[in-house]
Amino acid sequence: MARRWLCLCVNSVFIVFANPLPVTRSQAAGFVLVESPMHLSRIPSGLRYYVGEAARQRRAVEDCAISVFSGWSYQEIDTPAVDYYSLFEQGMGPEAQSSFRFVDADARLLALRPDVTSSVARASATLLAETPRPLRLCYAASVFHQQPRTQAEWRRETTQLGCELIGAAGIAADVEPLLIVVETLNRLGLAGNYRITINNIDIFNGIADHLGLDRDSRERLRSLIDVRDTSALTELLTGLAVPEDERDLFVQVTRLSGKQGIIEAAKKVITNSRSNAALKSLEETWSVISGLGLAESFEIDLGDVSSLDYYTGLLFKVYVRGSGIRVGRGGRYDGLTSRFGRAEPATGFVLDLDELTRVVRPPEFTASRPSAAAVALAEDNVAAFREAMRRRAADERICLEL
Amino acid sequence: MLTIAIAKGRLQGEALALLSRAGVNLSAADLASRKLTVEDESRQYRMIFVKPSDVPVYVEHGIADCGVVGRDVVVESNADLLLPLDLQIARCKMIVATTSDGELMNGGMLRVATKYPRIATAYFGERGVPVEIIPLVGSVELAPVLGLADCIVDLMETGRTLRENGLRVVAEILDSSGRLVVNRAAYQLKSAAIANLVEVLSQALRNERHCGND
Repeated sequence: MARRWLCLCVNSVFIVFANPLPVTRSQAAGFVLVESPMHLSRIPSGLRYYVGEAARQRRAVEDCAISVFSGWSYQEIDTPAVDYYSLFEQGMGPEAQSSFRFVDADARLLALRPDVTSSVARASATLLAETPRPLRLCYAASVFHQQPRTQAEWRRETTQLGCELIGAAGIAADVEPLLIVVETLNRLGLAGNYRITINNIDIFNGIADHLGLDRDSRERLRSLIDVRDTSALTELLTGLAVPEDERDLFVQVTRLSGKQGIIEAAKKVITNSRSNAALKSLEETWSVISGLGLAESFEIDLGDVSSLDYYTGLLFKVYVRGSGIRVGRGGRYDGLTSRFGRAEPATGFVLDLDELTRVVRPPEFTASRPSAAAVALAEDNVAAFREAMRRRAADERICLEL
Repeated sequence: MLTIAIAKGRLQGEALALLSRAGVNLSAADLASRKLTVEDESRQYRMIFVKPSDVPVYVEHGIADCGVVGRDVVVESNADLLLPLDLQIARCKMIVATTSDGELMNGGMLRVATKYPRIATAYFGERGVPVEIIPLVGSVELAPVLGLADCIVDLMETGRTLRENGLRVVAEILDSSGRLVVNRAAYQLKSAAIANLVEVLSQALRNERHCGND
């Protein structure tokens, strides 16, 4: 019997045969080797196959996450994979430019969805406007980027595992998504191997207001904090006439992440009222986290100022040992739904299924599966199929010998 | 253990000397060897030696937790990295140079020869100057002399190579020096070890400045 072995390489699929097959045998097995044209064998960059065990494991991670989301009463929502580009532009801002775009029959610009949140936000303001709040929605959906954000995040198709909590303000609504992330990672066997950093973006906004920065200097300050460029940040603040002791402490608190102590240090140097309110809120969030005994997995990172125009309060990032890129992100985005005509508070997060699948170790979370029972198709097909159906009814895994 | 990717070549000697002053020492045998990965004597650090332009790649993917590489290489790579410390080694400038008699912009378009196509494109792009970028991998100074390009974008340490080939600097693009670069995930997941490395390196730099003032 001819056996095919599929062997996956990064971007190309090689079909490797266990033995070189004489033509007659391959024909007997029901397929003929034909030379495939180059342009058909090539796969566009940033896309890949998942085959067999890899595909199953990915599905298992997805099922695990969705079961946790559903355990927290999040309803699944499936959004269209193709939508108007203007939707994503409205929802994501300039980041939408990374999407695959094409035109509809009426010449309006369409895009393959680069995120799910924009579409959920629109639905909550329109389709689900009358549904009682808070709305709890979740999804496992592929998103597409023509240009990956970084070279290490090489995938152009990724699957987001996400939750959106719409219509709830306050600390409890900030913490709920964090706890869902924690439970998901723990159930995937990653306990002790991840770190979630939290920040409140209004701390930065308050400082930028206080210093009276115009748009360009604000962006410059943001990007220097973002890459922790201590020397250039010191130089910039000196230019803005920030007193030396304040300046050095500011550089210090935005450079390092830490626990409660970071907030204490920040309070000494950050005095404007907007930042102070944000610091206070962050402190409350932290006290809930540490009260739950989770402080070990969390850090406060005042230097996380990555997406200013999207988040409006708490924001967080998820890092997992074994992955060099962030595996998840989330936070509060109270400004989003108003762009679709209904202002209401919202929080949420996404986890990267592909990256999670890469770092989990299967036996730690996947239920063991019974080994395959071979079912021979003998002369009497009906009896063999009946046997196969009986075993399936008993939840056994079967493999028909064809 | 932290993995540090170190750019081979121009910067390597100064980087290892600085690390040594910060208490991160390689054994004499390892220093003399041609091994591409070595551990330091305290076994807290593993060094890997790679081409400069590969340092951002190893660090961005998290294969190395951090790296030592010039700012020019980091900017050109466009990699998403943290830059917590200027190591103040291997200082140089990224410049635009042309032949001494050459008139820049006599046509509507500049031909720019460079090893740094991304930096050159961004620099002229911001100024609204249309350019044709001619990517080269070495002896860039030759290009304007022989008429391949109108000007070059390249690194300049002392300016000697430029002078000897009859080129003059017409603009400075950026100052470069050796940087400590860190992977974003490692910065959080190995925060204590990285904070410690930043601290011992900063201390070594402060000591140096102090000695310099004496």
